[in-house]
Order: sequence, then C-alpha cells, then structure tokens
Amino acid sequence: MSAEKRTRPLWLLWSIATIVLWGLWGLVSKVASNGVDVYVNQLLYTVGLAPLMVFVGWKVYKHSPREDAKARRKGVFWAFLTGILGGLGNLAFFQALVKGGEASIVSPVTALFPMVTVLLAVIFLRERLGRTQWVGLALAFVAIYLLSA
Amino acid sequence: MHIWLRFAALALVFWGITGVTQKLSTNSISSERSFLWFCWAMVALSAAVLVVAHPHWGLGALVVWSSIAGGALNGLGAWTSFRALESGGKASIVISLISLYPLLTVGLAVVLLGEPLTWMQMAGAVVAIAAAILLSLEASPKAEA
Repeated sequence: MSAEKRTRPLWLLWSIATIVLWGLWGLVSKVASNGVDVYVNQLLYTVGLAPLMVFVGWKVYKHSPREDAKARRKGVFWAFLTGILGGLGNLAFFQALVKGGEASIVSPVTALFPMVTVLLAVIFLRERLGRTQWVGLALAFVAIYLLSA
Repeated sequence: MHIWLRFAALALVFWGITGVTQKLSTNSISSERSFLWFCWAMVALSAAVLVVAHPHWGLGALVVWSSIAGGALNGLGAWTSFRALESGGKASIVISLISLYPLLTVGLAVVLLGEPLTWMQMAGAVVAIAAAILLSLEASPKAEA
C-alpha cells in the first residue's frame, strides 16, 4: 500500500471530525443563546476550551520545536491577537444568535469570513487572487443578500 | 438591516482578520504553540469580561452545558482541522471540505430546533457554502505570478 493511500483516510477522518464538531458547535450555541448572555457564554466557552488547552500545552512542552526567540515573540504576538479577535468574533456570533438570528442562517453567513481574509490578504499581504476566489467573493455577496432576505 | 445580521457581519470581520493574523503567527511558530497562545488570549478576554461586564448567574443546566460544549466543540474542531492538514491532506481540499460544516448546522437546526427556512434562505445557505469553498482555494501559481 502506498504512503498516500495510508494517509488519505486519516486526513479525511480528521476533516469529517472537524465538520461534525463545528456543525454541532453552531447548534449548541443556539441552544445556549436562549438562556445565557454573551458575557457568561464567553466565560463558559473558555471553561469548555480548558481541557484541550491543557492537552495542547503538554504537547507543546514535550514536542514543539524550539524557535528563535525573536521569531517566537513575533509568532506569539500574532497568535495572541488572533485569540482576542477570535474571541470578539465569538461574542458577536453569539450576540447574533441572542438577537434572534437563526442558527441555520447565522452559521452560513459567518462561515463567509474567508471573504474578509482574502480582501485583507490582497491589501496588506499583497497576495493576488485567482479566478475562483473572485467568483467566491462575488458569490459571498449574493449569499449574504439571499440569507438576509 | 436586521440587528442579528449586524452582529453576524461583525463576527465575519473579526474572524476574517484572524485569517491573516493566524498566518502571520504560524509563519514564525508551530501551529500548536500558536493554538496555545490563541487559547491564552481567550482566557485573558474572559478575565476582562469577568471584571468589566459583571455577568449574572443563576442559569439552567442545559444552557450552561451548551455553552461549555460550545467552547469544547469549537476548540476541538480547530485542533482536528490542524491534524487534517498535518496528516497529509492538501490544504485546498481539507479547507474546502471543512467549509461544509454549516450544512450540518443548518440540517440540525431545521430538524432539531424546528427553524423555518425559506427557499431563498436555503439557496443562500448553499451559495454561502460554495462561496466559502471557492474563497478557501489557494490561487494557482499562474494567478499569483
């Protein structure tokens, strides 16, 4: 059996696990939004994240490569900023559900966040877009219009 | 514009920016160390919420466990997505595949929560997922040249 054949089921399995986990996350968030405000949700959300944080912290301690100090400082800064922005995004996502947004609408709308990433990458990282991404960007605007109708 | 849509758009912007900052982070450190510091930022944000917002308690068990499960499911999902990429999956395929996750949320919300969907919204959900997949695809070297 080739290496590719051996590894394919594994990445497919992890990908399917991601779909299930994130798909369920949208559902339980809607259930929670019927009784929890955004601030309490953020606190409880972090409680839910804690076991994974301990596990990943242990893995980093045991196995992570030792990066150059300057590169590490830079990487940690951006990672921390990612967490703050991600958390603010979570607060906004949850508030959308609290304010009456249906999980079946809010989830697809917020899943369009790569459109912002793509635009920022073009502006700040000077990346160039392929034709498929331009089509994706156009479809994203159509989707927002249809979902908010 | 619906008030919920404004918040959804805000989430879209915040998460969209994380796409760039995450890339800048993993250019310098491992994805696991990056994820760990992402979690530390969540802890810091929660501490700020605790100090500033004075949240009120006295909640039902279902909503409490749903909130906790939200954190666990979202965090685990981020971790499994890294594992998928590290297990040899091509980024363009893995990211396109996991962009399908709203389909599950839509299906479960309609079936379990009884959320109504108009034909336009159903079309919108499908178009949104197609858009997310197309946006997640890497530009070909020809397009980047």
